[in-house]
Amino acid sequence: MSAAAALSCSPTGLDDAVVEAAEVVAGHDGAAELMVRLRHGNGASSFVTLDPAAGFDLLRAAGADNLAALAGRPWRQIIRDL
Amino acid sequence: MNARLIGASIKRMTLARQRRFVTPHPDETLEALAARALPDAPLADAVDQIRAWNLHIFAMRKPRGLMLGSDVVFVEPPLT
Amino acid sequence: MFDLIIAGGTVVDGTGAKGFIGDVAVKDGRIAAVGERLDGDARRTIDATGRVVAPGFIDPHTHFDVQLLWDGAARPALAHGITAVVPGNCSLSLAPLRAKDRRALVGMFQQIEEMPPEAFSEAFEWTWEDFAGYREAIEPGLSINVAPLVGHSVIRLWVMGEAANQRAATPDEVAAMQDLLRQSLDAGAVGLSTSFVDVDENGRPVPSRFADFSELDALSAVLGEQRRMLQIVPEFYATDITIARVDQLAELSLKHGIPTTFSPLFDNRLAPENVSRVLTRVEEQFARGAQVWPQMQTRPIDISFSLLRPSLFFARFPRWVRVLRLPLPERIAALKNAEIADKMIEDAGPDGGMAAFGELVVRAGEAPEHLVGRTLAEIAAERGQSPARALIDVSLEHGLDVAFVAASRGHDDTSRIGPMLASPFVHIGASDGGAHLASFATYGDTGYLFSEFVRGSGALSLEQAVRKITSDTARIWGLKGRGELKPGFAADVVVFDPDTIARGEERPEFDMPGDGMRYVRDSSGVETVVVNGEVAWEGGRYTDAKSGVICPLN
Repeated sequence: MSAAAALSCSPTGLDDAVVEAAEVVAGHDGAAELMVRLRHGNGASSFVTLDPAAGFDLLRAAGADNLAALAGRPWRQIIRDL
Repeated sequence: MNARLIGASIKRMTLARQRRFVTPHPDETLEALAARALPDAPLADAVDQIRAWNLHIFAMRKPRGLMLGSDVVFVEPPLT
Repeated sequence: MFDLIIAGGTVVDGTGAKGFIGDVAVKDGRIAAVGERLDGDARRTIDATGRVVAPGFIDPHTHFDVQLLWDGAARPALAHGITAVVPGNCSLSLAPLRAKDRRALVGMFQQIEEMPPEAFSEAFEWTWEDFAGYREAIEPGLSINVAPLVGHSVIRLWVMGEAANQRAATPDEVAAMQDLLRQSLDAGAVGLSTSFVDVDENGRPVPSRFADFSELDALSAVLGEQRRMLQIVPEFYATDITIARVDQLAELSLKHGIPTTFSPLFDNRLAPENVSRVLTRVEEQFARGAQVWPQMQTRPIDISFSLLRPSLFFARFPRWVRVLRLPLPERIAALKNAEIADKMIEDAGPDGGMAAFGELVVRAGEAPEHLVGRTLAEIAAERGQSPARALIDVSLEHGLDVAFVAASRGHDDTSRIGPMLASPFVHIGASDGGAHLASFATYGDTGYLFSEFVRGSGALSLEQAVRKITSDTARIWGLKGRGELKPGFAADVVVFDPDTIARGEERPEFDMPGDGMRYVRDSSGVETVVVNGEVAWEGGRYTDAKSGVICPLN
């Protein structure tokens, strides 16, 4: 898929990813980390694992105080508020 | 070397397509990279997308958003 | 006359060939003969009846750079049967380093290794600047073999000074880095390490991360002159980025004819596609002729925390998150507030936190002795409390400085990981030996390989497992004449009991300079370790042997 085609995968012309789920996982250095799974506008799924600082920042930016509250949130909006 | 260690185990002979990325030019700003990578998109949207696709730079780094010459910057969403 | 015969054991020679009952003879530091029954006398004979006799294990990802200056055995690595280690990973080595840059490097090492500052000020004297000088500083005291990497970050620091973690290099600077790398390889470095992940003590990216791809390409060209290794730490927390790094490594491997390796690669049951996607790409690149070796550790990952700092371990529980985010004095006050604590306990579930917290184990360190090693469920029962209440109260009673561990919370599914470790595309490593000192023990992964994946799940045969951590490692890294029990090879030998070899329980050890604490694991089942023909560890003790060397390379 080209970048231009990627941008056409949602009605707004943008990749409207939403948070599908978030889970606590064990990080490489023994800290609890936050694994966020995203569902992208093109139907693809991806994940990223955030270290404690980024994980807490993400919860704050999303106005969430627990994992369940992240589900369904629009990803670009959360990132913009980080 | 490879044959000695893994020999007959190799079966896949073609490279599957992977998610496209670019690396930042020296002193390139996010706006300049977004315009380079997504020239057909409105700049604000392109910047938003680059940020959303590249959390390792725009969410996990201190200082946040500092682009480094070694970075992998995705210019499309994950492939289906 | 031989110097040593190890007699009557099951000889597992490191090639993957089936073990056989036989003898291994050693002379002048090398394997002199291997056979079912060797004739000839020896100055010493070790009876290995009922034991396995194998090549010494090789650990390809460690951070023993500093420890080797006062502990040539890289304790307790040697006791686990490891006879060669690769330090200098993740872009950081102790040389080349100008005197004026020592402070900057110490900060980076402290961040990665969690080593107390006294280790750098009390335990040794800085006598070197270049790589040859570092080699001279460690080699006389070695009882383990060392194949040191040179770090990209320190090469940048030498050439660029303070600009190393600020900008891309100029062409002249890149040329100077090439010269410095070449000198370091000539002085015995096994390759170059770089990192796309690590940060310094201020959370700022380490210098190697400011290099663009053309700089890495230029340095890889120097590696290509001697076919030396390039090691990287990729952004292992996201599959697509890891795959992008695999492709970059493959490009460098093919262009310059070098082996490359990346570490770590983890399995995660919540993202089960991660390893399979990465390995598929690795296989595709091997098919093109590239050498891109993913390193995978054997041990599971634990989560550890105390209430001194906010931990995402509590991210399922909103009231806990709110309280633990507070500054320390307010946090303590909130935990002491009965109304708030009651709501936190309610938040932990109708079972009082039994499911969520009951399996947590109190770690040694600052916790009182009588609590160490016990589960929160046990402690709560003894106190007549719920686990959630006990978690709060025990923490408060000790100024919140009580560490808990949730064992095996990542990379922990033996049924999935066994076949991954057995894959011919996976390089067993990534132990991080000598790092994360105050967080968890990075020792005993080889014992765990045998106890969990050979005796336990049977994912690997004994011979496969031995080959994976001996001859495969030696070949991947170009270690000359190591990794097999074969005449002419270095006499690095481990004698172990296949029925009991394992890693011990994690325990604190106060053996770092300045009485610094680190977590360690003792070995079990490892009876004798021979390094270059001399017995370096036996009967649970280190000997006085100083027979370790900087590994000669192919």
